[in-house]
Amino acid sequence: MAEARQIDMPDHVSARLNMGETVRIDRIGYAFVAFFTIPFLLFNIMPVLFGGYIAFTEWSIIGAPQWVGLDNFREALHDEWVINAFKNVLFYGLIIVPGVSICGLLAALFVNQRWPLSSIARTFFFAPYVVSATVIGLIWVWLLDTQYGLINHYLSYLGISHIKWLTSTEWSLVGVSIASIWWDTGLAFILFLAALQDIPKDLIEAARVDGANKVQRLFFIILPLMRPVISMVVTLQLISTLRIFSQVYVMTNGGPAGSSASPIHYIYQAAIVRNTFGYASAVAIILFILIVLITVLLRLVVRERA
Amino acid sequence: MSRTKSRVDRRTFLKTATAASGAALATPLIASKAFAFNKPIELVHWSWLAASDGEVWAQMIDSFNQAHEGQGIQIKMELVPEEQYTTKVLTATATGQAPDFGWGTAGKGAQLARDGVTVPLDALIRDSGLDLADFTDSSVKAARYPKYGDEMYMVPMDLMSLQPEVNVDHVLEAGLDPDAFPTTGEELVKWGQAMTKFDGDNVSRSGILMTGSGVQPTVTWGIVAEQMGFQRASDDLKTAAVNPEAGIAAMEWVLALFDEYRVSTRDVTDRYKAFGTGNGSIFWTGPWTLNGYVKQGVNFRTYEMPNIGGTQRTYFEMGGLEFYKQQDEERYAATMEAVKWLSDNSFLWTTVGRGAAPRRSILDRPDYKTTGHPWDIRGAFVDGMKIATIPEIPVVAGPEFTIYSGGNFLASTLENVWAKQKSPAEAMEQLAARWQKGLDEG
Repeated sequence: MAEARQIDMPDHVSARLNMGETVRIDRIGYAFVAFFTIPFLLFNIMPVLFGGYIAFTEWSIIGAPQWVGLDNFREALHDEWVINAFKNVLFYGLIIVPGVSICGLLAALFVNQRWPLSSIARTFFFAPYVVSATVIGLIWVWLLDTQYGLINHYLSYLGISHIKWLTSTEWSLVGVSIASIWWDTGLAFILFLAALQDIPKDLIEAARVDGANKVQRLFFIILPLMRPVISMVVTLQLISTLRIFSQVYVMTNGGPAGSSASPIHYIYQAAIVRNTFGYASAVAIILFILIVLITVLLRLVVRERA
Repeated sequence: MSRTKSRVDRRTFLKTATAASGAALATPLIASKAFAFNKPIELVHWSWLAASDGEVWAQMIDSFNQAHEGQGIQIKMELVPEEQYTTKVLTATATGQAPDFGWGTAGKGAQLARDGVTVPLDALIRDSGLDLADFTDSSVKAARYPKYGDEMYMVPMDLMSLQPEVNVDHVLEAGLDPDAFPTTGEELVKWGQAMTKFDGDNVSRSGILMTGSGVQPTVTWGIVAEQMGFQRASDDLKTAAVNPEAGIAAMEWVLALFDEYRVSTRDVTDRYKAFGTGNGSIFWTGPWTLNGYVKQGVNFRTYEMPNIGGTQRTYFEMGGLEFYKQQDEERYAATMEAVKWLSDNSFLWTTVGRGAAPRRSILDRPDYKTTGHPWDIRGAFVDGMKIATIPEIPVVAGPEFTIYSGGNFLASTLENVWAKQKSPAEAMEQLAARWQKGLDEG
């Protein structure tokens, strides 16, 4: 075979060769890999590298980028709208991540009981996740309407009236978070359910025989065994929240007064609406650094010790 | 044939398949090159008109194509979202794939003109025989960019002013006379108060329809401020925020609508929907809403903008068709022929579509007032053009100056005022600084 040749190999491979086996490098494999690799390089890696470059320039598509050094970063770090968007996203994280994790876990525990109709409940809990964020946003704009929304209508029976979910600076972030929790819970739920179903039944049974009640079984058997999945859900959710955009764009467009704006929304405004691509890229890099830092920190805090 | 002979090994199969795929992919390219010169010219037109006015525009394009069937020129229209329009035009131009022509708004395209994305049209207009004397003076002026050779960069198609639409049912219910619409700010507030409804302490129906953020309070401020004597930029485009006290007073007037006069609520999220469903009584907006509200069955009339601040003025936008840079410059002449036809035949567009006609020959037609929607809902947008003297600022930073925006620097800054997180004076200081920088940069 023309394509097959002997090359320098690690010891264990050389040992196999000495035993009479041959190793063939079939270059056609690269062709198959290329179907993924080339588009990935062209449409993922190249834009990221180009984005990194234009963050140091002033550029609005037409003409060559003008090198401005760190000016975009300096401007971004002093831009009150950028600072506000980053503050907001941290608040989003504080509301959405625990909200999604707790709701997802409760839903998974409920379905795992295998009570009658639990399969319908499973579909019910997961369904919002398959709907696009834009549709979710549009639905929740109606539900959370201050004057005519269903949520305020039902709250009025409890004596709570007229919460300005999307039209006040105090509540807009909460309003968007509620829609996000409803949307994102589906993924957390399905991951938690899979983890729950993986826990050996005999462990639970042994704990029950030893006299552990339901709460003790949950906190001393189930949750510790689910630690890796909890860690994964929290990490995924945090990254997803730091990138929140569609709900913000559809529900409040970042307002009022920037109270619900997120970094990605700001980047979209800077790049697509104002055509300041260099500045938008600089903000995107700052966001990227923040995501990496928070993710590493989180992994250190809730890392699995199993 | 024996089974052994017909067997194809994997390598041969892959070679054959690759060759076949390559041939299949290349065939359309080869074919298109071969037939390109025998095809009629197909002009690519980008439009963002997606509401009810878009349907009328599509009719205009269809009419052109029917009228030119077999004559070697056709228009292919493609819809592009308005917010992404400029970015997509820039990208398409940078890659040599720009559409031939598209919709633009006068005064907002200085960057495109500066960067050579849009094409100066004076010579093309002259060569095509399009009679500029037939266009109103204000429309020709608005199509020019003084800082970029003062050439026309679009062919004006319609003039859209902001005027109050008023729910007649609410007027009658409040015991007001629909034939005596307010002409001053004080009267306007009284009308608003008469039509406002409350649910407990909260405004449930706005006498004067406003939102807590976005376009509506921004454009209201812009109109009232200019009526009070404020200028975003001086006439020579060198000084920003002329007469800032008037701008501050206008912010206080808008705040008073919410908090003092109590004719508006910040709780409305969708102004168009609110007026359509009867949750707002007086709503200043543009002629693009007419088709929708008529179809919806809203009982409304339109009036000219009252004099709130001292000089009766209102904001206007001019829609027009701009040409984008082509590698094959011979296409410009064909594009101009098409645009000339659309302009010459814009009667439908400026009666049923949207806005007032920029062409005198259309405005003077005896059937201009009787065609399309009834005059009591359309007339203010035509007759009101005489007070529509608040234009865009034709500089590269123009989008930061526009008062009809929900997301530019102006709107974002003012949102803090409406939310009481910034004083009007602080906001004015920020606006003046940012705008001055924009003017200084050209």
